[in-house]
Amino acid sequence: MIEAPVKEPRDLLERDTVTLEVVSRKYGELAALAGVSLRVRAQETVAVVGPSGCGKTTLLELICGLQRPDCGCVTAAPAALMPQRDLLLPWLGALDNAALALRARGVSREQARATAQPWLARFGLDGFEHTRPAALSGGMRQRVSFLRTLLAGKPVLALDEPFAALDAITRAEMQSWLAHVLEREPRTVVLVTHDVEEAVILADRVVVFSPRPGRVLADIAVPLPRPRRRVDPAVVELRERALHALGVPS
Amino acid sequence: MKRCLSACAALALATVALAACGEKAEVTTGSAGAGQPLRLMLDWVPNADHVGIYQGLSEGDFAQAGLAVRVQVPSDPATPLELVAAGKVDAAISYEPELMLARNRGLPLVAIAAIVQRPLTSIISLGSNRIAQPRDLPGKTVGDAGIAYQHAYLQTILARAGVSTDKVKEVNVGANLVPAMLSRRVDATLGGYWNYEAIQLAQRGKRPNVIRMDEVGVPAYDELVLVVRRDTLANRSDELHRFVQAMARGYKSVRRDPTAAVDTLVRANPGLDRKLQLASVRATLGAFFPSAPGKPWGWQDPARWTAYGAWMLAHRLITNPNAAADASTNQLLAGQGV
Amino acid sequence: MKRVGLPLALLALLLGVWELYVDLGGADPVILPPPHDVLKSLVDDRGLLWSNFLVSAREVVLGIVLAVMVALLLAIAIHFSATLRRAAYPLLIASQTIPFPMLAPLLVLWLGFGIAPKLVVIAIVSFFPIVVTTFAALEAVDRDLLKLMRTFDASRGRTFWHVELPSALPGVFTGTKVAVVVAVIGAVFAELAGANSGLGYLFQQAEANLLIPRAYAAVVILSLFAIVLFALLTIAEHRVLPWAYQSRGDVAQ
Repeated sequence: MIEAPVKEPRDLLERDTVTLEVVSRKYGELAALAGVSLRVRAQETVAVVGPSGCGKTTLLELICGLQRPDCGCVTAAPAALMPQRDLLLPWLGALDNAALALRARGVSREQARATAQPWLARFGLDGFEHTRPAALSGGMRQRVSFLRTLLAGKPVLALDEPFAALDAITRAEMQSWLAHVLEREPRTVVLVTHDVEEAVILADRVVVFSPRPGRVLADIAVPLPRPRRRVDPAVVELRERALHALGVPS
Repeated sequence: MKRCLSACAALALATVALAACGEKAEVTTGSAGAGQPLRLMLDWVPNADHVGIYQGLSEGDFAQAGLAVRVQVPSDPATPLELVAAGKVDAAISYEPELMLARNRGLPLVAIAAIVQRPLTSIISLGSNRIAQPRDLPGKTVGDAGIAYQHAYLQTILARAGVSTDKVKEVNVGANLVPAMLSRRVDATLGGYWNYEAIQLAQRGKRPNVIRMDEVGVPAYDELVLVVRRDTLANRSDELHRFVQAMARGYKSVRRDPTAAVDTLVRANPGLDRKLQLASVRATLGAFFPSAPGKPWGWQDPARWTAYGAWMLAHRLITNPNAAADASTNQLLAGQGV
Repeated sequence: MKRVGLPLALLALLLGVWELYVDLGGADPVILPPPHDVLKSLVDDRGLLWSNFLVSAREVVLGIVLAVMVALLLAIAIHFSATLRRAAYPLLIASQTIPFPMLAPLLVLWLGFGIAPKLVVIAIVSFFPIVVTTFAALEAVDRDLLKLMRTFDASRGRTFWHVELPSALPGVFTGTKVAVVVAVIGAVFAELAGANSGLGYLFQQAEANLLIPRAYAAVVILSLFAIVLFALLTIAEHRVLPWAYQSRGDVAQ
């Protein structure tokens, strides 16, 4: 059940898709993406893995409408971005940061806070409503950032390496936490990550990108039931397959 | 953000309150509200030369004449005449040579009274330098404020004493003449007043030597004059007449009781050095009134004005003879004119 | 205690050197009064110094407020419009090179003898540092944050209000702290151009009356005032912007 407020009534979930057709994007002489075709179905989670500089951030910005492709076509339902750095506003508490997307649309402060309040408890941030980001742990900041993205009310979520800055323990916790949240709040998700294992654990498909200029090397389906465990042989096998596609020796 | 906004609002309110209530605190010297407003600008910071004006304000001479006089202090001695010409003040105190220069530039100004009837400008030196007369100047350094007509005074004085000008070095020391003398940067200064700087030095035990301009060849002139615009004189002649008469009463009152007048001056200007001002007023008393018998307070001797104007022309300080002609009028003085 | 102690110790040392220099005949006491004469004037003339200080203080505070308002408007304007920035920036810099003795009498001519010309002089000398620091703070806002707001469909105005303006506040404070020190000097020059009261006027009058210790005392009061204003602003800064001074709780482990 989608509870976060959305811009228009959504009756046809089939519309909540992302399609890239032979998309290329250049920054001057530098080609970021070359002929990328990708389709994400409604409420599907697709993980994009690849080496640094393969155009993953460009991909997400194209999906969110921040950039236009030089060639090809991007068709996407409205998408909200969760940036790599949490970019929480240092002068606002957790509650106000979470509600930022609502305030950005013109919702009053009381209304925005009322909407965001119940979510804080669900995200384990109860009691931290007025705590500023500087006093929150890394994991908590990522949770606030994700909540903010969720409360933007867009059907598509573009997550840019959300757990890259966290330590291994917190990262593992956050991965299972995200899997749990997405189960209860299904969205169409494009998740960019450098952690192949994370991709296999969270996604329905893992798309492997080549180094610059980025193009799709492999599209690996992950038809495993959730919740998934790291040590599960099926998970390990898919992980190896992805690493192999990346060119990492076993 | 909201807390910041309310802080800004509080600050804004405090600022408005500060601006509003502060206006009353601004020191304004002038007579009580009622009466035609008249803005008078002094030539410099208030001092002993202005004692009659403050006496007149204090004892209500201006108020009785139906005038609400407001006294302004200028930024430098050059601005009063500019501001009178621009109509920003109604009358200004200035110096006879400055008035001539302004008229030479085309400013339609005229002097209506002389407040100090003879030159105050002098060559002043510390007693230890032994410069008692112009013939003692060869080989010495003289400091002044770089004013053209004062340079011409020096030339005239040296010529009269038969001293070659290249024997005397002239240095620009700005307006602070006494520090220049005390620091021995210069041996003497030209531009100090015998009733002011000389007294400051005397009170510090420096036993100054004073050579007055009019004693060594510079044509006599009125050191301090009251100046208005020509059209003000034409249009508000009655008002100015009352103004001048009230000022005359003020100065006469000073003559009767100089000590009380100095008290009034210092009360109106708490920053003054009472000892200095008292000595200065006493020394200047004679110069506040014409020496010629039967002439009213503020008298400007036409013959002397003509002679001074001719001297300025001869030294090419002014180029327009009309600047000197009709530069002053006595028509508003007691028993004169209309 | 050490924070106050060290500057005081240095000050005491400098005062000692100054006192010795004058007492040993290095300069005529009329021109360079010894510190004890200045201290005496601070005590004897305290009434005169205080009443004139209030006048100057009012001018400085109001002038700074005016400067902040003008500077904010300008900084925001050139932040939003690159054309305006290219057109106005050189002129803004040039405005700082106008010499006071030229500027102040002109303003008295246009605005009269009240407080207005003094406020304009003070505002002109103070607004520039505030513009520079505020503009820099606005430009330094993380570009990724602005992109994020776009994905939330925020209008330009809302992005400015929620993100850029609060980000710029530290810059406003920094610039204002620099400005208050300059503003005090500006007030003196403004008064020298035409005033009947204030510490600048008192200074001028004291010099004319050869009461040099009093002139120095006026300068001392002005310096103290600048220090106090700077300190007050720093305190306000820490109150209003506590988030700018907290160290990050836990940087990536």
